[in-house]
Amino acid sequence: MLDTLIPILRARCTGASRAWLDGEMAAASPGRPAADLIRAYTVAPRRIGRASLALSADERELVAAHDPELALSQWTVDDAARAAILLAAASADPSRFQELALACYENGDAREQQSWLRSLPMFPAPERFVAQAIDACRTNIVPLFEAIACENPFPARFFPERNFNQLVLKALFNTIGMSRIVGLARRLNPELSRMAADYVKERQAASRAVPPDIWDVIAERDAAQLRQEARS
Amino acid sequence: MRIFDPHVHMTSRTTDDYEAMAAAGIAAIVEPAFWLGQPRTTVGSFVDYFNSLVGWERFRASQFGIRHYCTIGLNPKEANNPKLAREVLDLLPRYLEKDGVVAVGEIGYDDQTDVEEQFFGEQIELAREFGLPILVHTPHRDKKRGTERTIALVRRLGFPPERTLIDHNNEETLPLVLESGCWAGHTIYPHTKMDEHRMAALVQKYGAERVIVNSAADWGISDPLKVPKTIAVMRSAGIDDGAIEKIVWENPVAFFSQTGRLDPADLDTRPAIDRTQTFETNRVTRG
Repeated sequence: MLDTLIPILRARCTGASRAWLDGEMAAASPGRPAADLIRAYTVAPRRIGRASLALSADERELVAAHDPELALSQWTVDDAARAAILLAAASADPSRFQELALACYENGDAREQQSWLRSLPMFPAPERFVAQAIDACRTNIVPLFEAIACENPFPARFFPERNFNQLVLKALFNTIGMSRIVGLARRLNPELSRMAADYVKERQAASRAVPPDIWDVIAERDAAQLRQEARS
Repeated sequence: MRIFDPHVHMTSRTTDDYEAMAAAGIAAIVEPAFWLGQPRTTVGSFVDYFNSLVGWERFRASQFGIRHYCTIGLNPKEANNPKLAREVLDLLPRYLEKDGVVAVGEIGYDDQTDVEEQFFGEQIELAREFGLPILVHTPHRDKKRGTERTIALVRRLGFPPERTLIDHNNEETLPLVLESGCWAGHTIYPHTKMDEHRMAALVQKYGAERVIVNSAADWGISDPLKVPKTIAVMRSAGIDDGAIEKIVWENPVAFFSQTGRLDPADLDTRPAIDRTQTFETNRVTRG
């Protein structure tokens, strides 16, 4: 993945930002001080900008060759630079990766955490970070929630059912389209259907609008029950 | 009519809010401990927060003629950080003895995880040990199930329902809570939870017994005048003043005073407003 990200980033750099990026990639080594890496992680947008990554069709194909569920459609160049910094660290010294990755996430500001969550599916053995990903879903900062919940294959791959269901329900509460949850169709389950059906009833009892795509997660049996209750 | 707002997070509000609340007739408030919009990472943040609830914030309220009480507890969101949660639980006994602490809360379920249930249960036991009622938050998501689980847990632990205030009810949960014997709180919010008109309809349907309303004003979109605004809507809906006064004054006073930690006699007078007073050399007039 790193080999794909670097040319994508270099193509979006000018002289100074390219020098910074190349310097960061060269700095990845087993002995690199953690503080040095964390500082680079934080400063990335000031060095390389905050523009949308806006992949070309060819670039999208290259990314999809690594992971067909990874679209990077919401990514910015600093997200990609931060991903590259951590992936370079992972290949330089796999034994320190977990510690360094957590150091970037913990005490990261909302944007740093957003970058981190977006790049999570690319990390080696990403399932070791499932606790951080679940905890990120508790945020009140909607863009941060979206970084894990939307256009991100991680939750469908690694969340236990209960946490996955909470993520879907929180997306519905925030009127986030169900189509943005990667892998939703294969994680549908009866408990999620029950929770969503209860939410429909709660909204109707309050005379409030029901999210139109909530029916994507409600099983036909529960939907029929709701229709019948609405008639009676 | 005197008004008691039994759930309002004044730490997040301005002095303009205090002035408007006092002018609208709010004479006493309860500020439940809760989370700050983003998770705390060290126990020291809780120490300072609890200290401000029993210290500076109470003083600040008094400077506007409002009696300030609080509840102390670990909120369910932050219960999901088990190491930190354990450290916070260890702090609680000291704070639960302090003057002006009238319940354990907000406790309850949020994501409805196993660790939330663990710390919820432990705090119910603390409430029993310290002779306090409990103020229970119910989840935004999967609320009906969360309310059913709350009632089941309170029942399983044998905690008295009359000392249990289950908050943030809606049309789906109110009948369950009333049936359980617990008290039923309603948070009147500008966009979510409950609004004034739906609240008036619920009172017309279920009556005023064990029914309580609050603003839960905090750092989000919320309004510390929602209790007086609900009074106006209930009046225009034809609900008599006796029932309204029960909901906005007698019920919360009865709930929080039942174990003696709130003395109703204290509510007969308002704190004298003397803005030359200081709290640890700090005063609301600044300068």
